[in-house]
Amino acid sequence: MSLFLLLVRCCPQPSLHDRPSSLSLFLLLLCASSHLPPLPLFYSLFLLFRGGPNCFLDNPWPLPLLLLSLCASPLDMYDNLGNQAGMQGPTTNPPPNPFGNAFYGAGSGLIRGGLGAYGEKFLGSSSEFMQSNISRYFSNPQYYFQVNDQYVRNKLKVILFPFLHRGHWTRITEPVGGRLSYKPPVYDINAPDLYIPFMAFGTYIVIAGFSFTPEILSLQLTRGLAGWFMQVLLLKGLLYSLGSGEAPLLDMVSYGGYAFTGLSLTMLARLCWSYSYYFLMPWMSLCMGVFLVKTMKRVLFTEMRSYEKHSSRQHYLLLFMAIAQFPLFFWLGKVAAG
Amino acid sequence: MAKPFSVPPVVFRSSAVQRRPPPRPASPGLPFMSFDLGPAPSSSSFSARVPGSFEDEPPLLEELGIDTRQIWRKTSSILNPLRVAAHLHDDADLSGPFLFLMLFGLFQLLAGKLHFGVILGWVTVATLFLYAVFNLLAGRSGNLDLHRCLSLVGYCMLPMAIFSAASLFVPRGGVTIFAMAAVFVLWSTRVCTALLVALASCGDELRGLVAYACCLVYTVFSLLVIF
Repeated sequence: MSLFLLLVRCCPQPSLHDRPSSLSLFLLLLCASSHLPPLPLFYSLFLLFRGGPNCFLDNPWPLPLLLLSLCASPLDMYDNLGNQAGMQGPTTNPPPNPFGNAFYGAGSGLIRGGLGAYGEKFLGSSSEFMQSNISRYFSNPQYYFQVNDQYVRNKLKVILFPFLHRGHWTRITEPVGGRLSYKPPVYDINAPDLYIPFMAFGTYIVIAGFSFTPEILSLQLTRGLAGWFMQVLLLKGLLYSLGSGEAPLLDMVSYGGYAFTGLSLTMLARLCWSYSYYFLMPWMSLCMGVFLVKTMKRVLFTEMRSYEKHSSRQHYLLLFMAIAQFPLFFWLGKVAAG
Repeated sequence: MAKPFSVPPVVFRSSAVQRRPPPRPASPGLPFMSFDLGPAPSSSSFSARVPGSFEDEPPLLEELGIDTRQIWRKTSSILNPLRVAAHLHDDADLSGPFLFLMLFGLFQLLAGKLHFGVILGWVTVATLFLYAVFNLLAGRSGNLDLHRCLSLVGYCMLPMAIFSAASLFVPRGGVTIFAMAAVFVLWSTRVCTALLVALASCGDELRGLVAYACCLVYTVFSLLVIF
């Protein structure tokens, strides 16, 4: 991996922009962190070596393929793990299987995940070692999509106006099979879901395409993904530094993705009247900051040891997280004018 | 090295027509390139050779699985956005969508924009997006497969193709084109949602959620027409 980074730094920059090294670095980090199949990654890197970031304008294939790989592995997993209830909390040990042990010495997790994803697609049989590997990092994604109209409407109200939420912010637990698990989003307004973040992300991309030409859609996609990734890093980092960091990754992805709702609204308002940007954007950042602080406080509350609760360190870090929303929103709101 | 070699004459089983033996290599520079420059055996001798095999073949469109009457029926059902006939779309075929996508690309070409590759890429991404979102939302009861998803997305591109044709006569960047875009996107979304909900056995409470995903997909295509 370090060899790749070295190659990336040394690649010649034919274009006027000096962003290709950071873009390719980001792609590497993104793919390495989520164990994507290597082929789209290598193809996109190859394109980057050849032509810089503008290569994606003529040839938008690598980015959808990357997204597809990101969606494909949880999708293959949902019918394998569909029989589990919405399990939250510490993940169980994966069941022992012969294939996992056989492939462990074969290579890194990247190749294993890649072989698993492609093997599933080509052979059509559910592969157990992929199931055990994926469940170590992702909880059941089906849980996050049990939504309905009413939940979506109420949750949007909570995200955009967190001050007006009169109820409590804790998630409702129910005992399932002897252990406590959280209720799915249909029954609990405070549960995270993945439908709203994905739709908000799509809306953000589409509105960005509306204000300028459609050619920059793939650039905006990359920028949006980078922003989402940074948000998830921030939340996960907060969890690790203050607690045990055992909350599921998809929870953090969900909380991080809620930022795109306020962002899309701001960009839509900017299309109508350009000055609205200057007061809507700080307002939305503030709302998102408040929402995240309240949510993460509850998440930390359930995980931390009793003598460390209500520490000032926790408060300062939460405040930092809320303030960090402002530059993030402004960076994401800046449409890449190619 | 032009060593001449003799090829025995080829005799077909059921006829007396024989091929001429291949000629000697003509040019010394290319000894191994000898091809029959004479007149090929005419096709009439083929049909006379094995009587009935050529006439027995099914028509080309039927062999390819393209039922033009069914495509026409499906097309005319999409033209009416208020009443959706979902039973017609039970058998998913890809030739109607191919036709509509080509039409869309053709009208874009008439406007001076070469968008065939972009259309292909975006239709693929849109299909995968809808497939993922629909199956995740519907949970256990969702039985949408990729083939049917692509077929539905492609058929509902018909309003987009009509919009592309109509936009040729409207000035660019005006309010009229945005209003038309809204109308056609709503038409596409309504038809696509109705078909998805009816065909893939999803509950009615997910209608609005699926509709928003379809709306996003068709807005992206309308961007191609507007800009």
